[in-house]
Amino acid sequence: MTKILTGGVGKAQVAETVQKLALDGVDVVVSSDMDAAMKLRAGQADYYLGTCHTGAGASLGVLLGLLGSGACHTFGRSVPTEDEVTALIGDGKKVFGFGMDQIDAAAPVIARAIAAHGA
Amino acid sequence: MSGNLVAAAAGSTDLSLSLPQQLTVIALCALTAFISHLALAVFNDGVRPFMLDFIQGRTTRSATTAVSFGLSAGFIFGLGAPMALSTGVLNPWLVFLPTDILGILSPKKWLAPILGAAWGAVIVFGLNGANSFAHDLPVDFLTAMQQMSTPILFLFTLFPVLAITKQFGKVRGAIAGAVELVLVVATMKLWPNVFAGAIAMAVGVLMLIAFAVSKDLRQRKLERAERIANGDGAAEATPDDDDPMASLFSASATRLRKHLPLFMLLGAGVCLLAQMHVFGGGEATSFLIAKGDYSGAAQVDFYRVFGFIPLIATTALASGAYGIAGFTLVYPIGYLLPNPWLALICGAAVFAVEVSALSWIGRVLGGLPSVRDSSEHLRGAISDSLQLAILFGSLMAANAMGGGLGILVVGGLYLVNEAMGRVVVRMAAAPAAVIVGGILLNVLYWLDLFTPVKGG
Repeated sequence: MTKILTGGVGKAQVAETVQKLALDGVDVVVSSDMDAAMKLRAGQADYYLGTCHTGAGASLGVLLGLLGSGACHTFGRSVPTEDEVTALIGDGKKVFGFGMDQIDAAAPVIARAIAAHGA
Repeated sequence: MSGNLVAAAAGSTDLSLSLPQQLTVIALCALTAFISHLALAVFNDGVRPFMLDFIQGRTTRSATTAVSFGLSAGFIFGLGAPMALSTGVLNPWLVFLPTDILGILSPKKWLAPILGAAWGAVIVFGLNGANSFAHDLPVDFLTAMQQMSTPILFLFTLFPVLAITKQFGKVRGAIAGAVELVLVVATMKLWPNVFAGAIAMAVGVLMLIAFAVSKDLRQRKLERAERIANGDGAAEATPDDDDPMASLFSASATRLRKHLPLFMLLGAGVCLLAQMHVFGGGEATSFLIAKGDYSGAAQVDFYRVFGFIPLIATTALASGAYGIAGFTLVYPIGYLLPNPWLALICGAAVFAVEVSALSWIGRVLGGLPSVRDSSEHLRGAISDSLQLAILFGSLMAANAMGGGLGILVVGGLYLVNEAMGRVVVRMAAAPAAVIVGGILLNVLYWLDLFTPVKGG
């Protein structure tokens, strides 16, 4: 089971969007940046999706400080393709930030890539 | 012709900057660029987390510049510039985001303030030119934009209700909504001179904070009971877990405290900028400042602070770089202060307290997860209510400028921006559409294809 945590301004909306996809082997839980940072460090969760106005501030916040830039990536306000996300996951990225006005477009792409990687 | 009469009658809309104001903006831009160069503070909350690697030397100046530009460009051209052009007053996205970038970009220490000052000069002269040009047009969209203030103030009043509903469910949301509505009606009846939403907003925010704090305290009591039930083992595990975060936070707080005098100068500068009434700090505040409603602007930006304290505190403590406007508390204070000298003193004092208290604030917030949650819901609720208010206000402005044709053009441009995946940030899309629509109506007027709607 791959566990995804969500955080930032649109965390409830991201969790809802991902849940609606009903992906196999993916569990999504609403969290917060501090909480998620500790859980990812401890291995209690696998990925983090954060959202805010810029796509990086509230969404990455403490995570970048505690997990290092090697594990974090922000798409800013752009919408990634599934291949991009797959490549980033391959590079060891676990934390993804994106803009809250792009949740509808970005969250499903990232979640599908995570699910495909886990399967 | 008729448009000019309207502008003249409104009086308070003369927003051209005096020489001391121009020099203040230029000097402040030099200072913020210098501070950004030293990686002591950046305005963009999204860039701040990336400053840690830069401060610790794990990444280069050019890579950090690229991050800063990438995360800021959309907000400069998609939010700051259209907001400034449609209101005639400055805003932090137009003033501080470019100085973030220029400061980090600058390879030499002495070059940063020069680049910052140059940017300050560009916006000061650009805005003055754009303002006088816009007011001379037969269809005056700056004056039409004053329609914005009623929807902004009244819809913003509801933001605590939205936040409570999202965080604590429908029942408490409905209660908060009913309480606020009663208070708005009562305020209108009992104190007609006070803004109708003032008391309702205060009570709404207090309800949200009370719900959040009581939830956290209940949770803490529960955890303590559990720990006692489980024996001592669990109690020892908790402080150990907190360690990496605590050490990161305290290192950052120490770094910032070392530069306290520079931060006090920054606080004085930002507070002075707000006091000059040529600057609106929040997404919707510019419209209120442009109309001369300083107490309304102060209320909106004061409540907005609650949404940003945890974000700014945690990103600052995690990265070692503070916010250019701090917790943004200096904005509302500045709007209300009667003279510039008081603004300088208060701004410096507020920043001194903020920077000194940062470490403590971080510790308190760490123990109150629901309060941190509340602030995220507050920011979401502010966006939601302002988005509707700005869209509706823009359509009202369109109606004032050009009736049905105005609504068609402005509404149409907004919808096209949505369909194209939001090239312009949603919050600024409708005001930007009003500018484009206003220019188009002026062109049609010159072509004798359109007559301005009404004579004031």
